[in-house]
Amino acid sequence: MFNLRVFSLLVSAVGLSTLMACGETQDSPSASVSPSASSTAMSSGMNHSATGKKQININGAILSELDKLEAKLAVPGLSNKIQASRPYGKTDELVSKKVITQAQFDQVKDMVTIEDIQLTGEAKDVDYMTKLGLMKGHMLVAKELLDLKKPDQAEPHIGHPVEEIYADVEGQLNERKVKEFKTSLIALQDLVKAGAKDTAKVDTEFKISVQSVEGAIANLPDTQRKDPKFVLQVINGLLDTANSEYGAAIADGKISQAIEYQDSRGFVAYANDLYKGITPAMQKDSPDAHKAITSAMADLTKAWPAPIPPAAPVKTTDAVSKLIKDIEMNTQKSINPS
Amino acid sequence: MSKSVEPEKLASSRRQILKWGLLAGVGGAGTLAAFSQLEKIKLRSSVTVLPSTHTGAISGQASTPLTMLRDFDYGTVTQEKGRTVREFRVEAQTSTIKLDNAHTFITWNLNGRVPGPTFRATEGDRIRVIFYNRAGHSHSLHFHGVHPAEMDGVKPIRNGKIMIYEFDAEPFGVQLYHCHVAPVTRHIGKGLYGMFIIDPKDLRPPADEMMLIMAGYDVNDDKKNELYAFNGLPHYYMHHPIAIQQNQLIRLYVLNMIEFDAAVTFHLHANMFKVNRAGRSPQPSEETDVITMGTAERHILEFSYRYPGKYMFHPHQDAIAEAGCMGLFDVVESTKT
Ligand SMILES: [Cu+2]
Repeated sequence: MFNLRVFSLLVSAVGLSTLMACGETQDSPSASVSPSASSTAMSSGMNHSATGKKQININGAILSELDKLEAKLAVPGLSNKIQASRPYGKTDELVSKKVITQAQFDQVKDMVTIEDIQLTGEAKDVDYMTKLGLMKGHMLVAKELLDLKKPDQAEPHIGHPVEEIYADVEGQLNERKVKEFKTSLIALQDLVKAGAKDTAKVDTEFKISVQSVEGAIANLPDTQRKDPKFVLQVINGLLDTANSEYGAAIADGKISQAIEYQDSRGFVAYANDLYKGITPAMQKDSPDAHKAITSAMADLTKAWPAPIPPAAPVKTTDAVSKLIKDIEMNTQKSINPS
Repeated sequence: MSKSVEPEKLASSRRQILKWGLLAGVGGAGTLAAFSQLEKIKLRSSVTVLPSTHTGAISGQASTPLTMLRDFDYGTVTQEKGRTVREFRVEAQTSTIKLDNAHTFITWNLNGRVPGPTFRATEGDRIRVIFYNRAGHSHSLHFHGVHPAEMDGVKPIRNGKIMIYEFDAEPFGVQLYHCHVAPVTRHIGKGLYGMFIIDPKDLRPPADEMMLIMAGYDVNDDKKNELYAFNGLPHYYMHHPIAIQQNQLIRLYVLNMIEFDAAVTFHLHANMFKVNRAGRSPQPSEETDVITMGTAERHILEFSYRYPGKYMFHPHQDAIAEAGCMGLFDVVESTKT
């Protein structure tokens, strides 16, 4: 450390007082940084604008919420454009990412935020139902694997609802006064982890868990669960996740991760179930979209011939992505006929 | 992903030297003398980073372990309310990497690389990480360090969702981040982890700095690792040794991110290294040539090589080393300039 020694000699020649005096304030000792004062998000306060109205989170809002911006600015297709340019670190990235112009931004800047906001209304219900729908998808494929006497393969799918989703929906379950069911999910997982030897007991526990998920879904009014506009948004959420998971299952043209193949199988299966429930309404109100969606869904479903993955994928990831995009496009037509 | 790499720490030490140099004299010859003296010191203390022998891209990964080695991501820097804010944008993705001839592995990663970007900041900076999950499963980013509960990154972020993590960079030292969704062994094992270096405000002495993360790969989901690696690819630094200069101070930021095995050591051949535990001290303390590290444990190790030649580094759990966690330093003789 020869250099350092010379360096410190020079520094002492300069004199410590000079050094202290010229030190930039931000170089002050760490003790002077107050953690409590700085731990609140800096971005809050900046976006807490004076408007009392509920703001739209441009990172998280569903299309029907973004439509308020689209309507205000009268820019066709704006909602999709906002979604496609995510994520946003600041609201004015709507301008820097060339989603809208500065003049347009000035008109809506009080309406938008990037902060977490309490979801309300339809957006909240779509969010709730999608999470439970993902749980249901996991449970569907878990059941198939249990019936095939593959408890080791069923186990991750019984684990996923607790590990990946429950914490994210817990607040809403409490709010909606749905009885806690994490305990039964974990109890079931324990049984399956241990080899699911007592099949009668596994059956009983499985029924309890599935009924809990279904009960939580039934908390939403029946009219909503039959409303195509609502259900199609949930289906899109499920298919989008199925798309990513299917992609994460395939390497070198082989299905190398059965877990992700099975996840996506479960999500598509539940999307099919949900669609059945709105079929009469779709036939009546949007016959063209209905025709396109049912044929694409039938084709899509072929990618998952059985719970145990086929040796070679039936469909490439690109083919699956394309079908899911087609379905989304057609659902947009019937959600948002314009 | 936008990214601006700040000039080396060195540059800012130099700025400080110049400033002090100018203050030292009141003008005239005195100042100039002090100035050139300092310049000379600066030159003599400058760090020689030797070029990599191999920078070719690897299929499925834009970065190689050699480019990642010294690739410190200082984020996009802005000033907000008089504070330095460093913004990092990361996207959880899935992609495949070829671990060896027999294994193509599906990773869950950030920005297409394993390990994820090495975030770097100075103590007291505001950190803002914009996390976009596009990887199917729920994921999260859990940072080590001090922050409020809401920013602890334990809550799963669903596919297609965005979470902005924001907190102060504290305390200084070597931190890490990783996904905290269960089973964490699988989420880390598939690649959702990286290093987060918080520099002290009083800069550490100039050195050739590098990041090394040890990790395991459970390629057949049997909850045991079959392959191991430094910075993502098994055996990579054996085939592409890390060139360093003789007598140059080397500063390694080392992290053990191996799941399933309780602990491993880090061992360096033909040398001793100084250990700065978790980088929490201004100076290293003890000296050794083997240090035990549990999962998620990390240290700064400092050393320099007296003799030119090739030297191995690896955990001294030799089965783990031979399964891919092994590399070489190539010490190049200093020129007489
Ligand atoms: Cu994860």
